[in-house]
Amino acid sequence: MSHLHLPDGVLPPWLWASSIALVLVLLAFAGRVTDPRRVAYQGALAAMMLAAMGVPLGPLDFHVSLAGPVGVLLGAAAGFQVVFVVSLILAFIGHGGLTAVGLNTLVLGLAGATASLAYGALARRLSPATALAMATAGGQILSGVLWFGVVTLALRTPQHPASLGAHPPRLEVVSALMIALWMLGLVVESVVAFGVGRFLSRVHPGLLPALSSESA
Amino acid sequence: MTSLLGRIDHHASTGRTAWHRASALGKLALAAGIIGVAIFSHSLMLLAVMHAIAWMLVLSSRLPARLALLAAAYPLPFLGLFLISRWDGTAVTLLVLLLRPLTASLVSAWLVGTTPYPDLFAPLSRVLPRQTGDGLFLTYRALFALLARSERLGQSMRLRGGFGGSVRRRLALAGEGMGTLAVHSFDRSQNLYAAMLLRGHSGRICGCRHFAHRSAADLLSLAVAGVVAAAAILLWRSA
Repeated sequence: MSHLHLPDGVLPPWLWASSIALVLVLLAFAGRVTDPRRVAYQGALAAMMLAAMGVPLGPLDFHVSLAGPVGVLLGAAAGFQVVFVVSLILAFIGHGGLTAVGLNTLVLGLAGATASLAYGALARRLSPATALAMATAGGQILSGVLWFGVVTLALRTPQHPASLGAHPPRLEVVSALMIALWMLGLVVESVVAFGVGRFLSRVHPGLLPALSSESA
Repeated sequence: MTSLLGRIDHHASTGRTAWHRASALGKLALAAGIIGVAIFSHSLMLLAVMHAIAWMLVLSSRLPARLALLAAAYPLPFLGLFLISRWDGTAVTLLVLLLRPLTASLVSAWLVGTTPYPDLFAPLSRVLPRQTGDGLFLTYRALFALLARSERLGQSMRLRGGFGGSVRRRLALAGEGMGTLAVHSFDRSQNLYAAMLLRGHSGRICGCRHFAHRSAADLLSLAVAGVVAAAAILLWRSA
């Protein structure tokens, strides 16, 4: 649910333009701190995110994003690069507008970065599966708040035609639906992340960051 | 969604229209122009013209109608939500709010339906940070192999009762399935990176250069760009 499907033409230009500028700055920074030897792994996990997003789970094309597990597996900076690539490819098939790529990246990137940081703290006390699930839930909560803020801002910003200004947005309709979907997304993403963590801790624990540092 | 991506990509690679021969750079510029005019225009008349041009592009590219409609319809669920929240009851508002995103998604469908992804990524990778640009190509390369694998995984899970039981169990098993894909992705990426090094990878995937090769088909892009510019100049201030 942390993936924006806002189409082109509904966001105010200052919002989408500034988000794209911010994303480009963050990508340049991420390029300095990520390991270039992992570029193929990043590409493979981006493809995995796209494959996961291709499985609809209900109305409004609801699907998992895997931003949390991918953020944990790659780290915040590399995860951010991956979600940008995924958002751009999706936008080219109309899955979210091209102008929403920056905001999509920020929202999904926040989910991945939060999960990555939270996992580092949680994995010392909890099993990898539980830590990954809780870290993913934390990322979903924060990215959901950002997502909701963006949608509210888009709806509150004066739009053309000018007649829209005289009619305040009916935010209660959006809120009711969005909060329900957000809660559902929180549960679904966390349980799926639990399964990912359970499998990786049994089969390839070296892929999980905390365990790999312990073994080293 | 990913099957849609595959079918559009197939059409982009096998299509034989003039749009398929036109350079990716010219089409990117044309698409940006039409989407820009559609987003910033306050004129319903101009929006309607841009929408008509978008349909003309899609139809002349011989993109299968079902594919075009599927791609163009993606914004509708969220657009519906936006309309419920913002619609003031007038037909003009409804049309403006509908035409902007639908025009943009149709133009996007035309662009990706006539341009193979590597050609589309090549110019973008030159303006993006190096690792991000490379990520576009490597994601594209990994996607279709991973899709085939995830399909086989889904079939074997179904045959072994993986989709039975409580919702929590099914979701956790789906997560384990994702875990197998992550392990597979890791192993595959190790081999791929080793192969890239053996082939002389210098730290940057440059992509093909024919995205900028000009041909007679580019005159078509230029002609449509002229129509878009003329319409924008003439109709910008109209109702």
